[in-house]
Amino acid sequence: MIQTENAKAQMRKGVLELCILSILSQGEAYPTEIIEKLKKQKLVVVEGTLYPLLTRLKNTELLTYRWEESNSGPPRKYYFLTKTGKTYLSDLQNSWYDMVSSVNKTIQNSK
Amino acid sequence: MNKTVTINISGIIFHIEEDAYQVLNNYLIAIKRYFNKNESGAEIMSDIESRIAEMLQSKTNAMKQVILMSDVDFVMQSMGKPEEFADEQSDANSSNSFDEQMGYESQHQKKRMYRDADNKVLGGVCSGIGHYFGFDPVWLRIALALLLFFAGTGFVIYIIFWIAIPEAKTTAEKLAMKGEKADINNISKAVVEEVEQLKKRMEKYGNEFKDMAHKNKHVPRNVAEKIVDFISDVIMNIGKVLLKIVGVFLIIIGLVFFLGLFSSVFGLSFMLDSVNGKDWIDLVLLEGKDLYLGIIGIAIFVGTPVIIMIYGGIKIIFKVNYTNRWVNLGAGIFWLFGFTLLLYVGVRTGNDFNKGAKVRENISINSYDTLYIKMAETPIDLIEVEDAIDYDEHENAYSKHHTESDYMIGKNANGRYLLGHSHLDVIKSQSDVVELVVVKEAKGSDRKMASERAKNIEYKILVSDSLIVCDQLFRVNHADKFRVQSVKVILKVPVGKIVYLDKTLENMLDDVDNTTNTYDGDMINRRWLMTEKGLKCIDCKGLEIDSSQAETEDSLKEENLNITVNGINLKAKNSQVKLDSNGVSIKSKDTKRTIDGKSIHIDTEKKKQVH
Repeated sequence: MIQTENAKAQMRKGVLELCILSILSQGEAYPTEIIEKLKKQKLVVVEGTLYPLLTRLKNTELLTYRWEESNSGPPRKYYFLTKTGKTYLSDLQNSWYDMVSSVNKTIQNSK
Repeated sequence: MNKTVTINISGIIFHIEEDAYQVLNNYLIAIKRYFNKNESGAEIMSDIESRIAEMLQSKTNAMKQVILMSDVDFVMQSMGKPEEFADEQSDANSSNSFDEQMGYESQHQKKRMYRDADNKVLGGVCSGIGHYFGFDPVWLRIALALLLFFAGTGFVIYIIFWIAIPEAKTTAEKLAMKGEKADINNISKAVVEEVEQLKKRMEKYGNEFKDMAHKNKHVPRNVAEKIVDFISDVIMNIGKVLLKIVGVFLIIIGLVFFLGLFSSVFGLSFMLDSVNGKDWIDLVLLEGKDLYLGIIGIAIFVGTPVIIMIYGGIKIIFKVNYTNRWVNLGAGIFWLFGFTLLLYVGVRTGNDFNKGAKVRENISINSYDTLYIKMAETPIDLIEVEDAIDYDEHENAYSKHHTESDYMIGKNANGRYLLGHSHLDVIKSQSDVVELVVVKEAKGSDRKMASERAKNIEYKILVSDSLIVCDQLFRVNHADKFRVQSVKVILKVPVGKIVYLDKTLENMLDDVDNTTNTYDGDMINRRWLMTEKGLKCIDCKGLEIDSSQAETEDSLKEENLNITVNGINLKAKNSQVKLDSNGVSIKSKDTKRTIDGKSIHIDTEKKKQVH
């Protein structure tokens, strides 16, 4: 149903940033890899969504990248967290845990 | 076998099938548009293209060198369609986000009606209205043009619209006219389009100039050449203006012709005292379908070139370059059709002049010694007879002079009829009685028709004792048409009788033979005696005699008849008879007889006898 799709998309949008930053905290990755990892956790995101997000995060200096030449194909951007990004991430993760527990409690109370 | 297109994405060459290319291209364009709003749009695009290139590379190998539609589908699935992009662009654009998630962009802001000056034929009225209501302006143009025929309604409506509806000048207005949101995106799109158009036009001009320069072989270098160029420019511009004037003239002339044709053929007469075309056509042509066919034929034959002229004039003025060969072909065929009609009617009508017939009518007349013949003025009002009067410019007056071969159209309560002049001839009678014959002649498609028509000619001659009064004109009724009807009056005079030709017969005489070779005009007002050799003038004192006729002179001398109040003097070759107050005197070669009151004297050579 359209309505829940909308809401779900909104929710996903909200946490996407958190997920991406978390993945990158495990080590550098290039966009396709990030998508693969998200898929494994059943978070489906199309690349068209990912790229702008990555670029924004890079613009706000939470991420940065390096180029890697490839034998088969165009050069790739490998993203990794900046110092600011790491701090930002831990902050965000804390807010997440707080929000999750609050929301859970709210939901549990409903019938 | 399929066509491939060669493209490069992110610097990598790909061969891609044509239809797959179309889809991929549209996809990339859609994404580009989507990210246009984003400040980092370019960077994002480059990342995306790079990823796409990578994906496509994995799809090709030595066995499969070309990107297919299925590959493009795969890319689109993987990358996602723009509608599927969770809107990363944050709250600055939040007013759009909801809409964009739904995948639609609200395009319909308030639409306003403007005149579209970029897509105009005349004033862009129909284009503008078409935009507003969403239909092709051609229909509206057709509708208005048709309305023109109803007292020019279309014209009035159009002018009102032209005045009331403003022209879309700024880009924002133009977008509002078409109903597109006038935001930066669309406006920049519109501007880009306009720039493209402008570029194309400049290119075209540039090319034209290059061609021209090519032809001229050199580019103007020095001042003199520049001046020449300038002058030729001015002349060209004047030429263009003149061309437009020519266009206007063509239209005006065409319209005038058209109106003239229209009125003359369909009976609306501009000039009140002249016979219009319809009357003549009516009388000459056959009735019924031939008449209408004939009129239609003329209308088409003359009207088509006129309309083409008007059309050409309009094209010149409004710089319409569109030459539809079907229009020209159609017009040509139509014109030929008119020509054929005319030909057909012409042949049929001509047929009706095939055979001629004469009808003779003998009018009884007593054989008086002297006959008087004059012409009666046919009683027709000036008003009734149209075109009978020639306006003599030199004398600045209406003169009744018309040649004897004129036909005229008269009109009375019953309708119109044809009038013609009758002719008179005086010849020697074969018998010793006077005969008066009226010969009526007409043409027809066969002898019977011709004869009918001849009989139907109305002509009056009155005879009272020795006076013959002939009508000046004969009348042909409408039904008989003009078929070269003629009326000839022949007066047959036996030898020894005298005829007096009244001066009213001036135009009626038709080369009457006479012994002195006198012209008809000089024959009037005189008495003529019919002799063995023909008419001889009795009254002709002071008449100039044709000196080429020596015999005539002799005969005048030989045969001399002199009748005066005093008496009669008859001179012959060798004799003379005198009748006067003295008595009778008869002189011959040998004898002289004189009779007077008292006695009769007879003198011969031999002796004188008195009784």
